[in-house]
Amino acid sequence: MKQKIMWIVWPSFLMAGVLELLVFALVDPQDMHWFGHAFEASRQAVYTLGFFVFWFLIALASAMTLFLSLPANEVNRSPL
Amino acid sequence: MSDSKTPSKKVIPIAVSSEPIELPPGADAEMVSLYQAHKKIYPRSVTGLFSRWRWILVFVTQIFFYGLPWLEWGQRQAVLFDLGARRFYIFGLVLYPQDFIYLTGILVISAYALFLFTAVAGRLWCGYACPQTVYTEIFLWLEKLAEGDRSMRIRRDAAPWTIEKFARKAAKQFMWITLALWTGFTFVGYFTPIHLLATEFITWDLGSWEIFWTFFYAFATWGNAGFMREQVCKYMCPYARFQSAMFDKDTLIVTYDTERGEPRGARSKKADLSILNLGACVDCSLCIQVCPTGIDIRNGLQYECIGCGACADVCDTVMDKLGYARGLVKYTTEHALEQKWNSAQTLRHVLRPRVLVYTTILVAVVAAMAISLALRIPFKVDVVRDRGSLARIAEGGKIENVFRIQVMNATEATQHFHISVQGLPELKVASETDVVIESTQSRWVAVNLQLPYDGAPAGSHTIHFKIDAPDIGKSVTEKAVFIVPR
Repeated sequence: MKQKIMWIVWPSFLMAGVLELLVFALVDPQDMHWFGHAFEASRQAVYTLGFFVFWFLIALASAMTLFLSLPANEVNRSPL
Repeated sequence: MSDSKTPSKKVIPIAVSSEPIELPPGADAEMVSLYQAHKKIYPRSVTGLFSRWRWILVFVTQIFFYGLPWLEWGQRQAVLFDLGARRFYIFGLVLYPQDFIYLTGILVISAYALFLFTAVAGRLWCGYACPQTVYTEIFLWLEKLAEGDRSMRIRRDAAPWTIEKFARKAAKQFMWITLALWTGFTFVGYFTPIHLLATEFITWDLGSWEIFWTFFYAFATWGNAGFMREQVCKYMCPYARFQSAMFDKDTLIVTYDTERGEPRGARSKKADLSILNLGACVDCSLCIQVCPTGIDIRNGLQYECIGCGACADVCDTVMDKLGYARGLVKYTTEHALEQKWNSAQTLRHVLRPRVLVYTTILVAVVAAMAISLALRIPFKVDVVRDRGSLARIAEGGKIENVFRIQVMNATEATQHFHISVQGLPELKVASETDVVIESTQSRWVAVNLQLPYDGAPAGSHTIHFKIDAPDIGKSVTEKAVFIVPR
């Protein structure tokens, strides 16, 4: 179980870093509109929150990959 | 399918049942993990050639890492990645997000440098320069200060808690956490001016994001170097898994000389080897005890081996004590071991196609990057057509197009810029043509272009804005379109 958590959390951490770099190199948070309004928070706040949102979403993708790669008998037998 | 001459394969039907399995009486119904439980590794400290080099690299990389943010360059921090202002300062350079290509260049250079080092001498990066190794080395040293070497640590961990055990563990944690926090502070110092950060720290007036990232990085350092250690290399590092793709039989790796060492076995110092039928390995197991990833190098090259050479160091000390030749475990290539080359012969085989290809690409990318940096024009221009109107009639019946031009001054001096336009004979800039922009600032300038009524036929015409910076003697030309309505 511990290993599975690491397989999910670690690769997504690396890729979240890459995505953070790519996205915020191209996009300035202060030029963005959020639901039609200018966003009040500082750039640092957007960078930080952005990183964790990226991390979380990529971790979800990793978790789904791991989940779908379970063989049939394991799905029948146990939840994780 | 069946052939009468060969015995036919028997088909044994195996039914997969979805029913729960009946357990034999007395059996434990709990899930049994087939993974080996992680055993804590207590690396023994070691001295020798490779260990000395590792410590030199620890000092070099850490003086660099901890020291660099404190270095001043003119009126500012020499290396500062100012994310808030979206400017990167690296000594004389000021980089904008538009200079992303240089970051790509650095990544490509790092990758090829890694390929090259790996092809020549195995996992040099892992053994000597990787932060994981470096911080683990420092943390192990602090651990040794507080808790003693391997055998003492094993004994104390197995013993019940006493005041002394608690005090020693507390001392270790205090040193670890202090170092981790300093590391986190330094990390943040690359993004927020570190002198300011230090002042804020002393007056306890840090911003919430600065506190968050200091603790986040400190926690990662503490966890990785104090607890995860070799598991990061074994289970988390992608490089460890694919580095063997860059190896060949002429790559220098830490190797055990099986032919010389086997059969291994204990013997007295005066014993005659020819009678005992023993190799040079005395099976003292020190090579396993010093290994930070807990492997036995005598089993051959394994992906867990980070190439630190601790086993080679400790084996040499044992060989010295016994009066045997050094190098039972040594840094050498597979070919050299096979064909008994001396070190000069081994080094001669370093230059091989793989290494030459990596070197050529590396040199080419470095050269391209250096040239591009040298020729870089230290200001940037963006031309945007005003969204409000395509074209309008200005006073005097002139046709007017409005543009917005962003001029970014990437130098650290105030610059004068002159805007002019080319492409149509009587086209003129009707707004201000001279702009002054402070150091590292950018400004949007509204530019009105005017053309006499009969200056050009209806339609769109390609024009060029020319922005001159006379102070630095450079200019930038940007394409745009001038529209003449029907």
